[in-house]
Amino acid sequence: MGQKGFFTDTTLCIGCKACEVACKQWNQLPDDGFQFTGMSYDNSGHLGSSTWRHVAFVERPVPSPTQNTAGMAFSWLMASDVCKHCQRAGCLEACPTGAIIRTEFDTVYVQPDVCNGCGYCVTACPFGVIDRRQDDGRAWKCTLCYDRLGEDMTPACAKACPTASIQFGDVDELRERAHRRVEQLHDKGLDAAYLYGADAENQPGTGGLNAFFLLVDKPEVYNLPPDPVVPTMKGKDAWTSMGWGALGMAVVAIGAVLLGREVAR
Amino acid sequence: MSDDIRPEDLEKRQDGRNIDSRLGVLAGEGAQQRVRGIDEANPSRDLLRTRPSQSGVNAESPSYYGQPAIKEPVWIWSIPLYFYVGGVAGAASVLGAAADIFGGKRMEGLGRRCRWVGTAGDIVSSGLLIYDLGRPERFLNMLRVFRPTSPMSVGSWVLVGSGAMNTASLLFAGRRGWLGRAGEGAAIAAGFLGLPLAGYTAVLIANTAVPVWQATRKSLPLLFMSSAMAGAASLLELLPHPRREERVLHLFGSVGKVGELLAGVAVQHEASRMEVLERPLKHGPSGTLWKAAKVCTAASLALGVWPGQRKWMKVAGALLGSAGALLTRFSVFRAGKASAADPQATFQPQRQGMGAAEVTGHTHASDGKPFKFPLPVLHEQPVLPRRGLSAAWHQESEQEPEPSSGPSP
Repeated sequence: MGQKGFFTDTTLCIGCKACEVACKQWNQLPDDGFQFTGMSYDNSGHLGSSTWRHVAFVERPVPSPTQNTAGMAFSWLMASDVCKHCQRAGCLEACPTGAIIRTEFDTVYVQPDVCNGCGYCVTACPFGVIDRRQDDGRAWKCTLCYDRLGEDMTPACAKACPTASIQFGDVDELRERAHRRVEQLHDKGLDAAYLYGADAENQPGTGGLNAFFLLVDKPEVYNLPPDPVVPTMKGKDAWTSMGWGALGMAVVAIGAVLLGREVAR
Repeated sequence: MSDDIRPEDLEKRQDGRNIDSRLGVLAGEGAQQRVRGIDEANPSRDLLRTRPSQSGVNAESPSYYGQPAIKEPVWIWSIPLYFYVGGVAGAASVLGAAADIFGGKRMEGLGRRCRWVGTAGDIVSSGLLIYDLGRPERFLNMLRVFRPTSPMSVGSWVLVGSGAMNTASLLFAGRRGWLGRAGEGAAIAAGFLGLPLAGYTAVLIANTAVPVWQATRKSLPLLFMSSAMAGAASLLELLPHPRREERVLHLFGSVGKVGELLAGVAVQHEASRMEVLERPLKHGPSGTLWKAAKVCTAASLALGVWPGQRKWMKVAGALLGSAGALLTRFSVFRAGKASAADPQATFQPQRQGMGAAEVTGHTHASDGKPFKFPLPVLHEQPVLPRRGLSAAWHQESEQEPEPSSGPSP
């Protein structure tokens, strides 16, 4: 068993979308309608209920030392995004039915037969990954190919990736590999390379991600939040405030009744 | 897994799954996803109206082509309406319990009316919640587990408990013997459960990744609870009631309305830490609703203290109070939707140290840059996603200069 996860090295991604297709085919996901977004060459937009891998095409007016664009001030970043399988998962902590569970592989899994479609996980995810399917009424997201892991197989997207941009394995081992890769890139002169969400120290708001990334620009460029937090971490403030409100309401109710009784007499 | 998918359904299916039903079966993890109309399957995709390479990727506050960073809440109108109805039911239960314990014989009528409002509110609330679920047949799953980290789980138990207690008190309170005593006990229990019922909905929305809700988490519960008091008193004032209850309701409601106005200021103050957070409370439909709620509440309060009470003034005051309470929930709800659609509302506060840094005290963002470096504050309106191609075209054609057909100057 052990902690399984993904390390997505975006410097190796070529934007072929093999992972998106492999994910759709293995998980038998329906298509999203063939609509052109007009957004760069990205035709799937964002992660959603039936898009469990999404390749972002970032077209930046910034030259890159590793790309030859014939002198034009311009470069491409490709990044395959996926559910992060957080150590502290907002969706899991918010789910009121127990439909979202942590599996024996330390991944976050939605049980479709239990999900009742309340949509609370959708607002609780700081990455905007999980979504409720409109015509189906249930929330869906990447399962990290739970059905394949049980058979000791590699998840479909990692299996299909032709450049080893998506790497699957034990999280500890992946972290080591990722740190080596960052050093290697720094040696080559790509100083901007860093790891996103590798561990709790790196991203305290989620306790670290089981699916973490190597990025070369600000997280916002890839549509990733710079300092995400599982909402529950801030929930105490709201409960405390509600406690004071409750005390106030009780006092006012009792006071109103006592005063009203005096007058009515 | 695929028990409920029959072979004849597979042949009808044209949903892009590329499965030949004679050769394979639908057994994948996503195979249970229902598709009714493939064209409407995911209608959130909208045409981009900016040039990708110039969409500000290298700017100080970049985003992915202005796409939302988090998902918009999928809830519909029934949820803010539930916030109102649940709040009214909770506050009415609290007032009812107070009247039962401290009111003596004279306040018996008030207690009974409050219990009726509480029970009806609990039943309507459940209906509204079930209406919002994508799959109503599974509502009972809410009571499968109790999860303290989830305000929705806590709230479901509170709602069910409150409904049961209010119903029991209605059925048994008039009886003699131990049944009657149980009914009285149930009324008091309903009062205690009414406190969280009126306030947990604010905790529920504050406990999300939606920027404006998360940022105002300290004042939202106070707003919702005082608004619940105002709403409950206004509704009870509309129902026929004897004169001696008038003063109780007036006191309860007036404190609620004052609290609602003050808490509204507090919410706005909490949001004003950043311009992107305050924007939905100031501009757009949610800003209009927010102002309307304040106006209604203030008008209702003014009518209540106006000298020389007449019948129409009481009715108008109660109606305005109800409208204020209702509009408060809808404006907060709409503000959350607008702030979820704006990526900068997610990114900028986190850059300023209002993400995890606020509770864990670390100093650097994930890319190694320190928090609280000055970010330019955006002053233009966010481009909210529009539905469909025609809307996008229509907007663009509006901006084109009119061809000069008239006489030139």
